[in-house]
Amino acid sequence: MPPGKLIPLSEAVRRYTRDGMEYASGAALPVGSDAIVFGRELLRQGRKDLHAIFHCNSQQLNLLAAAGAVAKAECGFSGLEVFGFANGLRRAVESGRLELEDYSNLSMTLRLLGGALGWPFVPATVNVGSDIQDRSAFAPDEYPCRSKIATVTDPFSGREIGALRPLIPELAAIHVSLADPLGNTIMLGTEWSRFELSRAAKRVVVIADAIVDTACMRQYPNLVRIPDLVVEAVVWWPFAAWPQSSPGLYDVDEAHMKLMNQALATEAGTAGYLRDFVESYDDIGGYLDIIGRDTVAALSRGPTSFLLDPYRSWILPPEVLQ
Amino acid sequence: MSAPYTGQEMMAIATGREVQDGELAIFGVGLSMLAGFFAQAHHAPNVRAMTEGGVYGATPVGGLPWGIECNRISANATSFTSALDALGCLVASGRCDVGVIGAAQVDKFGNVNTTAIWDGDGVIGDRYRLPKTRLNGAGGANDIACGAGRFIIMAAHEAKRFVDKVSYISSPGYLTGGDARSRYGFTGGGPSAIITTLGILRPDPDSKEFRLDGWFPFSSIEEIRANTGWNLKVAPDARAVPEPTPEELAALRRVDETGALRRK
Repeated sequence: MPPGKLIPLSEAVRRYTRDGMEYASGAALPVGSDAIVFGRELLRQGRKDLHAIFHCNSQQLNLLAAAGAVAKAECGFSGLEVFGFANGLRRAVESGRLELEDYSNLSMTLRLLGGALGWPFVPATVNVGSDIQDRSAFAPDEYPCRSKIATVTDPFSGREIGALRPLIPELAAIHVSLADPLGNTIMLGTEWSRFELSRAAKRVVVIADAIVDTACMRQYPNLVRIPDLVVEAVVWWPFAAWPQSSPGLYDVDEAHMKLMNQALATEAGTAGYLRDFVESYDDIGGYLDIIGRDTVAALSRGPTSFLLDPYRSWILPPEVLQ
Repeated sequence: MSAPYTGQEMMAIATGREVQDGELAIFGVGLSMLAGFFAQAHHAPNVRAMTEGGVYGATPVGGLPWGIECNRISANATSFTSALDALGCLVASGRCDVGVIGAAQVDKFGNVNTTAIWDGDGVIGDRYRLPKTRLNGAGGANDIACGAGRFIIMAAHEAKRFVDKVSYISSPGYLTGGDARSRYGFTGGGPSAIITTLGILRPDPDSKEFRLDGWFPFSSIEEIRANTGWNLKVAPDARAVPEPTPEELAALRRVDETGALRRK
């Protein structure tokens, strides 16, 4: 393994996570880039009572919630876009097993930005006047709630606006397209709120689909939005966001998105999913086997494959990394 | 005999007609994106379309995108930025002209619920009790409803969805009506239309209560009133909405290449 911050996935989870922690991930969208394989490993190591901070739900939170590993969650969006409602999360909320605190996609970003900047609160003209402000799953008896999104008077206009609570998660597991062994990263596709999250979290572990030589970062330094100086550890894991997509590297696995969400709709289905797709591999090779090597090849030839072209020559081969 | 177009197609075309050429516009995933890109393909070639994830300059490739960041909308973008940029710098700032959002429930003042459904009479009460059915939450719709110059709501027209008062306001319309929005400092002006599977509702200029403005050729005032959970008033100039032109249908079907709107 080249020198730097590269560590195995299992060691990253062992070293940086604990039961009951504020765990942030999913800083992409429900169909996009997310460190889903990190969530699988959290379950493999039996982590529980997590307080999940997911800008948007993804299949990771859906899975963690279905498996009963999450006690509290804060989200801007809790579905799976065109794939429908997130059955695992929904079941956990409806049964009272998981308290889901609702925000919006901008307010989650602003809260991360507030954490990143060390602000006491973030002023906002969104979320006020709606039940996102008035209702709190964490303080259900407070109505209309003002401990979740407080109200302040804009000193310039005199109008009432929102005061959002900053987020400073204990750990952020952030999916990136490319990382070098030092922790410099490139995200292909929208970064969503991964920049803000990387600055808000106390610790950052990046999970990269591919590892590149640092010369790549020196060629494109403008694109390195999460640099090594905020990154604690680097994990290499191909298809880390599967079954979701990673622009430039692989497409969404439509069949598995549906299979997974259907499985997570029931306790029995979830148990089967954990057996077949969480506990069933020992290493990266075994993981790619459960996806199916033909599927891996097909998903790798997507309409965005050309986005990876400028970086291909710097990608380090597996034999160097294992 | 099959109709020359589906109700879903009429709804998407009616929504697309609301989008003007040159506008800065934000579309959610699904129906609203098809409606927006239909507008671009038909009468608004210079619409500046963006997604809330910060994908700019893109048109969908290979069918309806699964998500607003998936490869079908990332294959020909001219810029990738972030949620802070799209929903913050471009929407919360007041720069965005128009947004399109969906609704599980909508009320007479255009308030939208996409968070959950509660049993009993649907009233939550003082304690925030568990919902019967958890839905998707607000996503970026709250931010669009607060910040976009105007927004359009798309919803299937059923009495259970068109209610007097939503159980939970995920995204604010005109709140309790009149000038109720004005105290919150929103940069956006509120909902300009509710486009349904049966027709078009628009707000009364003073009370902000939504009234029937138009019915689709295959529907009627009676059918729409029967499927609305409040005593829906009819605007004095309400009329039948023109059916899709052949050019409109052709443009929509180019965008909806997998036929998502033609399935039942």
